[in-house]
Amino acid sequence: MALWNKKLYPLVAILAGLFIIVFGLVMARELLACSIFLAAVFVWLLLFGCWKSCLHTLPMFLIVAGIFFGIFYGATGTVNSGWAMANRFGAVFLAIVPGMSTTPVRMTRCLSQVHTPRSVTLGMLIAMSFVPMLKGEIKRVREAMKTRGAGSVLNPKILYRAFLVPLVMRLVNISDTLALSVETRGFALGKVRYTIYKKEKIALSDIVFVLGLIAGAVLVIVL
Amino acid sequence: MNQEEKKVEEQAVQALIANTEEIVAAAPAEEKENGPVKQEADGENKIFRKYKIKDIVFLAIMAACMLVTGAIMPLVGQIPVFGIIQVCLGLQFSIFPVIGMMKVRKPGALLFMSLCCGVVLVFMNTVMFVCILLCAVIAEGLVLLIFRGYQKDGACLFAGTIYFPVTLPFLYIYYRFLYSWTGKEGQAVNAFIGSSAGMAVGMSIAVLAICFVGALIGVIISRELKKSGVMKK
Repeated sequence: MALWNKKLYPLVAILAGLFIIVFGLVMARELLACSIFLAAVFVWLLLFGCWKSCLHTLPMFLIVAGIFFGIFYGATGTVNSGWAMANRFGAVFLAIVPGMSTTPVRMTRCLSQVHTPRSVTLGMLIAMSFVPMLKGEIKRVREAMKTRGAGSVLNPKILYRAFLVPLVMRLVNISDTLALSVETRGFALGKVRYTIYKKEKIALSDIVFVLGLIAGAVLVIVL
Repeated sequence: MNQEEKKVEEQAVQALIANTEEIVAAAPAEEKENGPVKQEADGENKIFRKYKIKDIVFLAIMAACMLVTGAIMPLVGQIPVFGIIQVCLGLQFSIFPVIGMMKVRKPGALLFMSLCCGVVLVFMNTVMFVCILLCAVIAEGLVLLIFRGYQKDGACLFAGTIYFPVTLPFLYIYYRFLYSWTGKEGQAVNAFIGSSAGMAVGMSIAVLAICFVGALIGVIISRELKKSGVMKK
């Protein structure tokens, strides 16, 4: 077992994300205790190689939590409901962090190691890594719309004819090319033997991370 | 062409014929009787058919589309209005699954898309992830019971229409028994569903209508793409 991995073990990251969101939502009404727990989890994630994702999500969390805090404070006149809402958003944003800092390739490799069906791992890999590509495609379709002077996408007719149809057409073409590319690289479904060159291994740091999370949760409940 | 060249050519032809005969002899007896065309036609009529790589890839891409457009789920999920998630996401969660089902037309397509989408969704809204998986199973089950598969366009339309609205009763159960609002019993239900049941009914009808429109758009797009030859079976 390795002593320290720079990144979390993918399965540990998934489980940690689930734990944070469930525990955070359940404890959201314990205002101070939950806030302290979430702050501790934030620091803990910073220490265990998720600092980039933490810093990415922080501004978004501050904006969204601030808006909802304001709305609930305005609606109820008490700080408590706004604070509970901020706690819930904190849990949601922190739960995303471990998943965000795990690359789709590492996740797929790890799932393959635990003998997840190949169709599922392939589907997950594509679904996770296709998101940036999809953003690019949407941008291209919109640029084409601008070039043709199609007008605003808020118009349902234009949205359908000039945006949705070309986008789906592009997606179908991409999917055909991608499927062909996957097949030519020797990927096969069913009971085909395969090897994983770089195996994902659990490290001592992952165990320390999990123990820290559990200890934090226990402390929040007990104190 | 001289004699030697002719002889070499003849030998090559003989070798090719022998090779073909070997392949035919090695083929299963059933295939010999029916022929590959008949076998393929039989496969088309089966309810449960094997997934190919191109099916998996297309469904995963559709799941990615659902994922991108469903990124607002964690934000709207916290707003205390019953069915707000379904109203905001109903359109995209019916258009893309229907396009996926219209192309792949195999049982399990909806479930597979939900699973692929759920990988990321589970971090954003765990409750909705569970609800979506359960609803995919229910929708698939109903389609298999009523339509015996996805061969008809109506089956895809039906599955796309009921897929997202079925999450509403599950969400009610969640609000009723698990969600904590201010700590007082039943306040989550009051906050999310309102003191009158009329609002909940109204929202449910709105969700159903939105999902029907989305599924219809999905069917129309798929038909158009099939007509133009872009989308093949």
